[in-house]
Amino acid sequence: MGNSVVKFASETVRDVKVVARGWRWGRRAQVPRSAEPYVVPKETTVFPTKWARTPAAMAVRDVLQKGPLSAVINGTTKPTVSGLDALRKLNGPALIVANHSSHLDTPLLLLSLPDAMRRKTAMAAAADYFFDTWWRAAGSAIVFNTFPIERRSGKLSATPGDLLADGWNVVVFPEGTRSPDGWLQRFRMGAAYLAVEHNVPVIPVGIKGSFAAMPRGRNWPVAGRPTVAIRYGDPLYPAEGESPRDFAPKIAAAVAALLDEESTTWYESRRRVAAGTSPTQTGPVTSARWRRVWESTRPVKAAESRRKAWK
Amino acid sequence: MARPGFVLEVDDRTPPLIVHNGEGFLLERFPLGTRVVYPPEALPPVRDVEEAIQNALLNPIESEPLPELLRAGMRLTIAFDDISLPLPPMKKPDIRQRIIEAVLELAAQAGVDDVELISANALHRRLTPNELRDIVGERVFRSFFPDGKLYNFDAEDADNLTHLGQTRHGEDVEISKRAAESDLLVYVNVNLVAMDGGHKSTSIGLASYKSLKHHHNSHTMIHSRSFMDHKASKMHHSAWRMGEVLTEHVKVFQIETTLNNDLFSGGLGFLQKREWEWSLKDQASMLAAKRGLAAAPSKLRHKIYTDVRSPYQLTGINAGKIEPVHDKTLEMVHAQHLVEVQGQSDVGIIGVPYLSPYNVNSVMNPILAAVMGMGYHFNSYRGNPIVRKDGALILYHPVPYEFSQLHHPSYVDFFEEVLSESTDPATIEAKFEKQYAEDPWYIHLYRTSYAYHGVHPFYMWYWISHALDHCGDIVWVGANRKTVERMGFRSASTLQDALEMVSHSVGRSPSITYLHNPPHLIADVR
Repeated sequence: MGNSVVKFASETVRDVKVVARGWRWGRRAQVPRSAEPYVVPKETTVFPTKWARTPAAMAVRDVLQKGPLSAVINGTTKPTVSGLDALRKLNGPALIVANHSSHLDTPLLLLSLPDAMRRKTAMAAAADYFFDTWWRAAGSAIVFNTFPIERRSGKLSATPGDLLADGWNVVVFPEGTRSPDGWLQRFRMGAAYLAVEHNVPVIPVGIKGSFAAMPRGRNWPVAGRPTVAIRYGDPLYPAEGESPRDFAPKIAAAVAALLDEESTTWYESRRRVAAGTSPTQTGPVTSARWRRVWESTRPVKAAESRRKAWK
Repeated sequence: MARPGFVLEVDDRTPPLIVHNGEGFLLERFPLGTRVVYPPEALPPVRDVEEAIQNALLNPIESEPLPELLRAGMRLTIAFDDISLPLPPMKKPDIRQRIIEAVLELAAQAGVDDVELISANALHRRLTPNELRDIVGERVFRSFFPDGKLYNFDAEDADNLTHLGQTRHGEDVEISKRAAESDLLVYVNVNLVAMDGGHKSTSIGLASYKSLKHHHNSHTMIHSRSFMDHKASKMHHSAWRMGEVLTEHVKVFQIETTLNNDLFSGGLGFLQKREWEWSLKDQASMLAAKRGLAAAPSKLRHKIYTDVRSPYQLTGINAGKIEPVHDKTLEMVHAQHLVEVQGQSDVGIIGVPYLSPYNVNSVMNPILAAVMGMGYHFNSYRGNPIVRKDGALILYHPVPYEFSQLHHPSYVDFFEEVLSESTDPATIEAKFEKQYAEDPWYIHLYRTSYAYHGVHPFYMWYWISHALDHCGDIVWVGANRKTVERMGFRSASTLQDALEMVSHSVGRSPSITYLHNPPHLIADVR
């Protein structure tokens, strides 16, 4: 009797392990390559996130962000934030637009904001990635105040507009997904469209070093507390009658200039912008992927070892 | 929208896959590169079943509408497929019940008094009254069974058989006297797989041993390639010839139905899904089912499986003249089951489930396990078998030494007496078939109890003769060594061992194809 119970228990453990490994518990499920053409696109059901912006949820989020999230981020990376002065120039909600190369970008960006602004900031998150299961959706909504947006269909969600109208700041990563090699990818039109449509300023943000700290495929930052630089730029306002198509390149250029500034100085980058000689932030043109990754993972200089902005 | 079937190639992203293994299932990791043939998903059903039935009866193919064939004073016989279809049995109401009720409604309106209903079980066991009631429904049962007007066909009742003549190949056509002498024979079929239906319905379902032996023999069955393709099956050719003779004498109104692939629901619903698409709930159900079955005593496990009723839905119904009706039926069956497979492989893998057509409400004995693997699933192809000539076949089933003395008495003797002497179909046919077919005790049990006919295990063995002839090696995984050895096969503990055992004929890195069946599929091997 005793033996059979032990045998049953050990076989149960074995079966659970097989399933946990086979179905990648805790990780994203995978589809065999040959089955990919037969995958049915998931029906898009909008996960409600309004509850995540109630006072109670905001209070819980504040505790989570200032407590464990901040401890983890500051314990595993060394964030250096600059350009926050630009936020003082704001007078109302803004669209915060940043480059995106790591899952670290979201917490780094949020934690670098002044507290008052952080509490009133919502994140646009890919519906197909962050909202594919209820627990991932609820988790990201409570911790990061995310709301779902469709990045594939090109359909514009009403939520970000409503949030801006309600006085919330909205963070958008216009590249749509994390960069595969750390370099800037093509910016999509959504952010420019929102700014023009709702007549809100855009705060460009350049994030450097997050790819090296935690690239795609990792779920924890690399050892050694790598430095990650977050640099805010001056708000951009769409000109009277300017179309999103004209405004979008300006946002992309502003983010690129911030990344350039990170590796030089503010004044040098401004002069290069004026002369039209800003280096491209889309990385070296080469077929060798390793060289692009090599360049983009060059360590960011720690703040204390850097030259001052004014030489 | 139902997705088509497809061939998966196992890669590093593929989770362990379900393999049916008798009254249970396994999670197996197949070697990288193994091809796995998945059946198409369940096709959408007809919107309104009653309307579809009425439409088929009133607008038949190449036949007068049924009401025009019915008149007062006529002899009407309704024959229907027995309990061997569909597999697993259908959730109530059975589609046969719905059709028979519609036919009887029209017969009542026409004032037909002389109606008899016959279960077309040929040499299968008789159905119990409860089983008959499950098929035809309470109303029909209560109206006809007490008067003996709803009954099982008796192929050994010489007084109630009629010899209609011989085919151009000299094959005797001997069927139920009542059916032969009826003004109209309505046949109600369930065409679960492509093997069923057409002339096989009446010419086999209501035929005697004298008639059946012309196509149920080792020579014909080894050349039926495959049973799922009646144009390439010698057995079907013979049945079609008999059908020609039969329809010269009897007016047959054939009603054929096709069902979708909705086999498993509820706690076993995960068996319907592709493994990498299992939700957390599916994974939990699978674990619960697997561990629950492992903990359950064998009787409970057997009961759990025996009680499975499938939520099939009707995908089509056609009525009228046999041949054109069957062509339409096959179109639907093929739409539900065909999967294109490019080329054969060195090794074929089949998981044998808990059920075969011959052990509904009974136990799957070793011969039936062999038939399910090598007769039913191996033959589930069109064109070529999934295994190359002299390739290896690997089957999963525990193959316990277990027989039902009630249902399969001649199987026990066949297993002990015949298979111990020879496993060659032609040899055992020549030496033993007549003795078993004419044994008075087996005939008595077939006629009065619920036993399969004495000759039935021979037919089963002929059914696997194509696989025996085609495959160089046949190995069972996890099977009882003694029982599979008696049948001339070998047993391995694991898939890896089985591949090792067959490596002398197919090499160290053979190409492998696994048929992910059931739900049912037909590999269309190009």
